[in-house]
Amino acid sequence: MSDPSSINGGSALAMVGKDCVAIACDLRLGSQSLGLANNFEKIFKINDKVMMGLTGLASDVTTLHELFRFKNNLYELREERKIEPSTFANLVSSTLYEKRFGPWFTGPLVAGLDKHNKPFICGFDSIGCIDYAKDFVVSGTASDQLYGMCEGLYQPNLEPEDLFETISQSLLNAVDRDTLSGWGAIVYIITKDKVIKKVLRTRQD
Amino acid sequence: MNSTVASEYSSEIHTTPIEHRFNPYSDNGGTVLGIAGKDFAVLAGDTRQVEGYSINSRYEQKIFNVGDDIVMTANGFAADGSALIDRFRNQLKWYKFDHNNKKLSVASSARYIRHLLYSKRFFPYYVSTLIAGLDDEGKGCVYSFDPVGSYEREQCRAGGAAASLIMPFLDNQVNFKNQYQPGSDGTEKKPLRYLELDEVLELVKDAFSSATERHIQVGDGLEIFIVTKEGVRTEYYPLKRD
Amino acid sequence: MNTIASQFNNNNRNHVHHEINESNGGYGGVDKLELTPTMTLPPISQPTDFLRAHTDDATNPDCKIKIAHGTTTLAFRYKKGIVIAVDSRASQGNWTASQTVHKVIRINPMLLGTMAGGAADCQYWETWLGTQCRLHELREKERISVAAASKILSNLIYEYKGMGLSMGTMICGFTKKEGPTVYYVDSDGTRLKGDLFCVGSGQTFAYGVLDSEYKWDLTEEEALYLGKRSILAAAHRDAYSGGTVNLYHITEEGWTYHGNYDVGDLFWEVKSQEKSFNNVDG
Repeated sequence: MSDPSSINGGSALAMVGKDCVAIACDLRLGSQSLGLANNFEKIFKINDKVMMGLTGLASDVTTLHELFRFKNNLYELREERKIEPSTFANLVSSTLYEKRFGPWFTGPLVAGLDKHNKPFICGFDSIGCIDYAKDFVVSGTASDQLYGMCEGLYQPNLEPEDLFETISQSLLNAVDRDTLSGWGAIVYIITKDKVIKKVLRTRQD
Repeated sequence: MNSTVASEYSSEIHTTPIEHRFNPYSDNGGTVLGIAGKDFAVLAGDTRQVEGYSINSRYEQKIFNVGDDIVMTANGFAADGSALIDRFRNQLKWYKFDHNNKKLSVASSARYIRHLLYSKRFFPYYVSTLIAGLDDEGKGCVYSFDPVGSYEREQCRAGGAAASLIMPFLDNQVNFKNQYQPGSDGTEKKPLRYLELDEVLELVKDAFSSATERHIQVGDGLEIFIVTKEGVRTEYYPLKRD
Repeated sequence: MNTIASQFNNNNRNHVHHEINESNGGYGGVDKLELTPTMTLPPISQPTDFLRAHTDDATNPDCKIKIAHGTTTLAFRYKKGIVIAVDSRASQGNWTASQTVHKVIRINPMLLGTMAGGAADCQYWETWLGTQCRLHELREKERISVAAASKILSNLIYEYKGMGLSMGTMICGFTKKEGPTVYYVDSDGTRLKGDLFCVGSGQTFAYGVLDSEYKWDLTEEEALYLGKRSILAAAHRDAYSGGTVNLYHITEEGWTYHGNYDVGDLFWEVKSQEKSFNNVDG
């Protein structure tokens, strides 16, 4: 198994609720079968209402996070306003496509609320094709399992508390069926006036 | 695809050598699922059969009542699947001739299927096999097999193309994995209990409509075999055909 | 020249020698034909290449038939007997196929075998070993020694060497003349007697814990805990190990089962009690 996108392992997903979005990830970083770290967060804050998830090759996850932080800072300096989630999604897309013939080995997600506090989520393939979704997007080594879980548990217009429960159950049960994901999990719920971060206690095998 | 078919035209000149390799396998998609209850067991499967991106059939039966209130399916490569089931049925018939029509238990069927599968250890059946029925105490049981005959009795098991989508859902909804008692702050697990038949049927339908939504090889129809002490009965529900 | 040479080659042995050879060949031969099942081979010149192309995910990650792999198992001898501890995960590639596999195979009330490598290979040949041991009892009116049992298995495996069997197993038992005995047998044909073995993808993690705490004079409680704790360490670090821990103990009375522990709960219990696993928060 020398596929770069499944050397380190890890998974993430995002879901839309009623006037809120949730984004969650596991915490494992491994080298094939060996677990190396259990504090590798794959979700990064862009601004108060936009977050992104990055799974795949860990070095690309870190590098891309720095790159997007840089690009977002430039955007904020030039525009003197916070970036909209949909605008950020296009920024991600064009950044990925720049490397069309030697891609980043990563599957990004964007989740946030726009200026009218309307939920926005999307996912990408490794070369920047945007997958706009109304319900949920998934990414990482447990993506098959996540699709199955989300498709089974998701319902539209969930309140933040119920959305938290749904996204947590989806993530936890999916990563328990993937050898390369798990080792802890983190969930963010983005509402119009705050972001709630929760650390989940999970199995450690 | 690495396999290349030898050219019929000897005048054609190839710059690269034609690769000849024995490839007797193909993948006919589809997915199956078995759940055991207190006094019943179900085996469900979609009825689509595919080859590559083409649909061979929208209704091809792949779960069978093999007799003695045992239902069986072998999902994966359809030819190997039906060969295995035919072999088992045939042996069951001879067993009944030789042993005065004695009923074959599910546990013994499972052990025999292991031998059928392992006898082709070096040229395996490319299938994931499930059988379901009632054990000697009348409790529901499901046995699952890998392609070369390692087997295990389980409460539930998904097999085939969309197993990776369905199995975590079943862990969560049948075995209550990662579920805790409300208000216990994650200290007290949700107690295990046997699901009722109607709950199981709802889960099966949910699992298959979810899999149909996200897996191209799954869809068209859902056939459920239900084994109770009254015998075997089947139900059919349509699935999306896109 | 040839007449001189032929005096020294094996064809020209005396008839007593010949008879011994024949009886050995005939005895083993007939036995085997009746007891090992016939195996279908693919109708091509190199069956082993075929099998590797279709089932070995190490050489061909896209192969269709994935055989269950990944394990941590251990067995060790100590003053009171033998402790056997195993995990329960089966993985096919990165997919966790099962968290509830029984990796200790109960060959008979005195003998246990562990399972690492191909699940079907271990299950099949160790149950087959059970029937061979029973036949030995009926023939010899005496329980088979662990040495003999493990050798029946290793000889069988050796016949299939190079064909793609994948097994790493420990045959454990207690007999009057041998005492507590552990043999390691694998699909390369290795057969070793020893005090302590860990086998599988998580073996190094288990050895790490086991070697640092192991003493011959362990109490039964300490020994069982050490076995469980070693598997827990492997389940934690090795992606292909996990699920639950199964524990067995062997004494002159035979084996006893000492329970099934879910790693999901066991980990937090051990962590808070030992104040260990400080790499994990919570």
